[in-house]
Amino acid sequence: MNIHDISRAPTDRSPEIQFDPDACSLSISGASFPEDGAAFYGPVLSTLDEILKALDQRCVTVRIALNYFNSSSAKALMNLFLMLDDAAQAGNQVIVNWFHAADDDTMKEFGEEFAEDVRFVRFNVIPTAVTS
Amino acid sequence: MTFTLFDNEERMAGRAEAALRDLDFGSDEARAAYSELLDAYRKSLREQRRMMRLGDRLQEQLSTVNQELVRRRAEAERALQQLRDAQDSLIQAEKLASLGGLVAGIAHEINTPIGITVTAASILADQVAGLRRQFQAGTLARSDFEEFMTTADEASRLVLSNANRAVMLIQSFKQVAVDQTTADRRVFELKPYLSEVLTSLSPRLRRAGHRVVVECDEGLEVDGYPGALFQVLTNLVMNALQHAFEAGKTGTIRIRARLFDADTVELRFTDDGNGIAAADQGRIFDPFFTTKRGAGGSGLGLHIVFNLIVGTLNGSIAVQSQPGEGTTFIIGFPRVAPARPVAV
Repeated sequence: MNIHDISRAPTDRSPEIQFDPDACSLSISGASFPEDGAAFYGPVLSTLDEILKALDQRCVTVRIALNYFNSSSAKALMNLFLMLDDAAQAGNQVIVNWFHAADDDTMKEFGEEFAEDVRFVRFNVIPTAVTS
Repeated sequence: MTFTLFDNEERMAGRAEAALRDLDFGSDEARAAYSELLDAYRKSLREQRRMMRLGDRLQEQLSTVNQELVRRRAEAERALQQLRDAQDSLIQAEKLASLGGLVAGIAHEINTPIGITVTAASILADQVAGLRRQFQAGTLARSDFEEFMTTADEASRLVLSNANRAVMLIQSFKQVAVDQTTADRRVFELKPYLSEVLTSLSPRLRRAGHRVVVECDEGLEVDGYPGALFQVLTNLVMNALQHAFEAGKTGTIRIRARLFDADTVELRFTDDGNGIAAADQGRIFDPFFTTKRGAGGSGLGLHIVFNLIVGTLNGSIAVQSQPGEGTTFIIGFPRVAPARPVAV
């Protein structure tokens, strides 16, 4: 499968996904409540899994800047973080930066919980200025 | 292969099932405990899937409800705007209608002196023609001439006094018309102004047999908007005619104006009619509130009064009424209007 297939343009219900294979950086931003969570995230996650498994001693940076997501998106994110944790355990340096609006406690707490579920990834929870 | 978000968990459960099948647990108790744990994990996994589906469905419903809410709100706002536009145009129409009523009142009032003048002039012309015939035929007696002079005196007196009356009426209407059609401010003496206004309204009042009493401080000068005051009084009179007095009953309208304090004029408009039900008193100034919808009430008369007093005159209005004991509108406004009138 072509690695460029990972990138997605944003829609009303699904986030923008940008992946740069050279820099090994991934960004997921916007809102995420696709009609079918498995259909949207499935291909992205399985392609990413292949890419991560092929990495050796690389530095991977992941930016998550979601303002809203639904239950199946939360599950997909959990799967993503476990994959990244495996890659980190395999010897890559993996950094996740979880951005949340400074006044959004729910998004902050989700970030903190995900951070507890990974052991080898460096997981940063970062507040951003509230844009009204 | 179809992707499921629970791939990891399924794989984990599969491995655990293989272990249950292939491994030696040492004791039946250990195997039973392991099997129980696996069952619980399966159950928990199903629970997680259910929760996820439930969460997604709730989110879906919420977003549908939100969209519906946004749509309905936009719809309600559009309807409100249309209503406001309709209200504005109805208020304009009502203003025009009251102008039309004013014109009818003027025509009626002017008609009487003009009619008397025409009658007197035609009698005089007849008398002159008769006199000329008698003179030319040489049959004019001294007594005929004396009779003619008496008639001519009476006729010319009637012509003169009624023509004067017409001139006076036209002057007062002209003043009112100027005030009605312009928002110009000027200094005017209140008492004669109130009399002028009531002169133009009196045909309607007289027709119905009502009495109007005006009491006003002498020499009270107001620097403000007589046009607005005229419209206020017109609408209050029309309101009283429509609501206070039942058909066939006559009543009294009393208008009392005085300086309330150095800066404030108080005007009390009282009728001794039906009064206003307590439940309605809070709504009479609302646009379109009327108890006579079927009988031609627009529900705008008192609303316009309220707007003119609060807006143009920068004053206030209150109502006191007991059913069966009449109604008093108490109006207060500054004797000298503030620099700029508030647009209404």
